[in-house]
Amino acid sequence: MFTILSFKVDMVIVPATTGQMGILPGHTASISELKPGVLSIHDGNDVKKYFVSSGFAFIHSNSVADIMAAEAVPIEQVDPASVQKQFTEFTQKLSSASTDLEKAEAQIRVDVLVALNSALSG
Amino acid sequence: MAMAALRREGRRFAAPLISPQPINPLRSSISPAEDQAFLGVRSISTQIVRNRMKSVRNIQKITKAMKMVAASKLRAIQTRAENSRGLWQPFTALLGDTPSVDVKKNVIVTISSDKGLCGGINSTSVKISRALHKLNSGPDKESKYVVLGEKAKAQLLRDSKKDIELCLTELQKNPLNYTQVSVIADDVLKNVEYDALRIVFNKFQSVVSFLPTTATVLSPEVVEREAESGGKLGELDNYEIEGGETKSEVLQNLTEFQFSCVMFNAVLENACSEQGARMSAMDSSSRNAGDMLDRLTLTYNRTRQASITTELIEIISGASALEG
Repeated sequence: MFTILSFKVDMVIVPATTGQMGILPGHTASISELKPGVLSIHDGNDVKKYFVSSGFAFIHSNSVADIMAAEAVPIEQVDPASVQKQFTEFTQKLSSASTDLEKAEAQIRVDVLVALNSALSG
Repeated sequence: MAMAALRREGRRFAAPLISPQPINPLRSSISPAEDQAFLGVRSISTQIVRNRMKSVRNIQKITKAMKMVAASKLRAIQTRAENSRGLWQPFTALLGDTPSVDVKKNVIVTISSDKGLCGGINSTSVKISRALHKLNSGPDKESKYVVLGEKAKAQLLRDSKKDIELCLTELQKNPLNYTQVSVIADDVLKNVEYDALRIVFNKFQSVVSFLPTTATVLSPEVVEREAESGGKLGELDNYEIEGGETKSEVLQNLTEFQFSCVMFNAVLENACSEQGARMSAMDSSSRNAGDMLDRLTLTYNRTRQASITTELIEIISGASALEG
């Protein structure tokens, strides 16, 4: 379930709650919370994209960044058709949700699916 | 052939048929139990030894099978446990592991197995939990237990019943995964007030060695306090906090995530240690059964030969008495 990937790269773009954040060597030390979105790793001309569910990114002052995610899926393994289907299903559920809890749950799902959608298309 | 059949029936029928000596009718009327007590030399009858050998042989087979099952389960879970170690390493690099932190409310999370026959790992976990509890109870400090697993629950219920906040069992019904552990972590965080969480588990080092370890996770308030006082956590202030409205909100999410990651790793390591301990326990058990079987075989042969010898003596002395 968990693979530890550790290599030297040129740049990493993480989906922080404040927006897409690019991390280059020499970045200031920081702790950032991540929201569901695309994590892209740039190594020279090679770009690897993963969809991460959420987590944290620690950037240390010695140019080491630790990215911890509850789930990370390579973008190739995401199925666009099912994403579309779930998106329509849950936007519907969101509008018909009655309790606060249901609304929050549906909202979270819709957010994740929106991020997935944009990841697939962009 | 007939002799063998008679011998199988405990030899009490053979005596009157073989020798017409006056002493023999006496022996023939004695039951097998008294036969053995009266005759001393011939100790146990072969039937009893044979029954014991059969049951010991069965036990040997069962424990050998259990060892192989544990070995295969260990193989499956070992790679996952080693991979999950990388989950909490960044947290420890950032926040440090401070088991000596002094806080008011301690919660000791003891992880143990549900099934038995796994050696002494559950007892060591409970021993350490009790020691931590003693260490952390004083005039203004208190500690409570959260117990995972049947074995520790049974042991801790006996003397610390009032200190147990939460009990969770049957964790391994479905294969362990992060979602399940995060639900448990959520449960604990919501229902138990804590300043520091101390997770006690057995770390898996190799198939024969398990190290009882304690992992400490602090609550966000304590993290702030320690950060101000300096030390490892003092460097926390050098980090810019991005995301969330306030630093404390991000810190809270951080500590909760840390707790679930550490729990995940702890549960996996404990499961590995359980399987490894069971392997070695079953291995020593089957070896022991094998030794017992060897000794019983020797006893059986000795008994058998002794009875043959006595029968021969009876025949020969009877024959010589007839002649002479």
